[in-house]
Amino acid sequence: MTGFITIFQREIARFLKVIVQTVITPFISSFLYLLIFGVSLGEQMQVHQGVSYLSFLIPGLMMMGLINNAFQNASSSVVSSKFSGDLEDLRVAPVTDQEIIWAMSLASLVRGTIVALITYSVGALFMYYRQGEWLMVAHPLTTLFFVVMAGLIFGMIGISIAFWATTFDQLSAFSAFILLPLTYLGGVFLSIEHLHPFWQAVSKANPLLYLINGLRYGILGVSDVNVWTAAVISTIGFVVFFAVAKFSLKKGSFQRW
Amino acid sequence: MNLPLEISNLRKAYKGGTVDAVKGVTFTVKPGEIFGLLGPNGAGKTTIISTITTLEKPTSGSVQVFGVDVQKDPLFTKRQIGVVHQEVITSGFFDVEEILTFHSGYYGLRNNKERIHFLLEKLSLFEHRHKKVKQLSGGMKRRLMIAKALVHNPKLLLLDEPTAGVDIRLREDLWRFVEELRNDGMSILLTTHYLEEAQQLCDRVGIINLGSLVELGETKAIIRQYTHKKIRVVLTEKHLLQSEYLREVIGKEYLFVVPQNKTLGEFLSEVTIPTALIQDIHIEEGDLEEAFLKLVSRKDVQVPL
Repeated sequence: MTGFITIFQREIARFLKVIVQTVITPFISSFLYLLIFGVSLGEQMQVHQGVSYLSFLIPGLMMMGLINNAFQNASSSVVSSKFSGDLEDLRVAPVTDQEIIWAMSLASLVRGTIVALITYSVGALFMYYRQGEWLMVAHPLTTLFFVVMAGLIFGMIGISIAFWATTFDQLSAFSAFILLPLTYLGGVFLSIEHLHPFWQAVSKANPLLYLINGLRYGILGVSDVNVWTAAVISTIGFVVFFAVAKFSLKKGSFQRW
Repeated sequence: MNLPLEISNLRKAYKGGTVDAVKGVTFTVKPGEIFGLLGPNGAGKTTIISTITTLEKPTSGSVQVFGVDVQKDPLFTKRQIGVVHQEVITSGFFDVEEILTFHSGYYGLRNNKERIHFLLEKLSLFEHRHKKVKQLSGGMKRRLMIAKALVHNPKLLLLDEPTAGVDIRLREDLWRFVEELRNDGMSILLTTHYLEEAQQLCDRVGIINLGSLVELGETKAIIRQYTHKKIRVVLTEKHLLQSEYLREVIGKEYLFVVPQNKTLGEFLSEVTIPTALIQDIHIEEGDLEEAFLKLVSRKDVQVPL
């Protein structure tokens, strides 16, 4: 247990040391997204009934920031430890793989949640300024559920990939070729209702669609997919990636690059 | 009582490797001793350390720490062990004290400030405790590695070439510290290729070459067995000396290479040297380096276990 608490504290302390990356960057990027997409383009966009494009966009951006930061927190922690060699310390110390996975993915969740909260606050201010109303959370528990799921799942994905990775390229390949397209096509910026039925079917195969829409349901009360389906798929994702992370720690490499 | 470390028939083959990195090595570390594992680069020393710490899994054979197999109950064995890795670890985010605090936490120690400060003092790092690793000199980094290995007061300390690239004064400080730890009851496994270091520190040594132990025993006994005494006799004028031990004559200097078990008295009575002509006699005892070179260059070596 002490091992778990220590790794968790270490992970939190680590991202607080690079606070510009963790807090300021998402602040600027969500500000820009909201300004360009939400405000400028948003006036011509139609989404769900009774929901402005600006408010539609906010949960999507929250989830995007959450996923990216959770993934990056875990993966860059592992990879930088591989570089400096202190990952071997973890293997040599009496801590279990479970402790490492839980501590790292919970810390990823914390960082992701901070970013999501920043995005929410920036978005809420935009909405108040543009539409004169505060963005209220429609279903707090549902919101919490999807935030926790997404943070843990992507923390675990980050751990898994970083333990297998033997170069930085492999890590950025995952971000660029898998994570980025899946988030952009997962309904962050648009509702799949507007797509051709063929592309709607393709989108439904994208697991990120369910996390993004789950959170959107939690905050706005509207979603492209059934919220229960989204919850089940997220839970399955959580179980699967926990198993993958355990496997990666067992078989992956703690060795220095 | 269970031995701090018991390695039996350890074999390690790497994937894709044509030969085994470690080929059936057996040795023990006794309580309170400094055991030296010596060998040229690539002999398999670090692989053996890695199997003790479970960084590597043995292909066959077993490693037991205080009677417990490291593969069966790694949480127990890891708690008994402190490791100083060969390569310096340079975690960039935290300062010296933070690193040691986190490291204590990995070993289940939440409030370890007293021990950490004791080690920092002991290793002359106290005034550098708020520096990042990259601000430390090479020697300080080494000492930090040693402090890290000792935060949880391990019973078995593994030192993998702790003095590589360390200047002579610091090396001697570290030796003194290692001896102090031993005197406090710690058992120590040291790998090194500084033979002077091994000769001074180690009670027993195992000499390893190409993955096999070629000799194992008390340091002094090995030196005695594999080295010769060199006796250099300087005469006041040239004189014909005859002896099976005579190796070299340079002017008035005569070099004899004599087995260790022959006393000086026996030697002098066998080689009749006119006493009046003797200007000087220098005796050089053999050292571990000589024994080591003899052992690792033998092609026909059979493992004598």
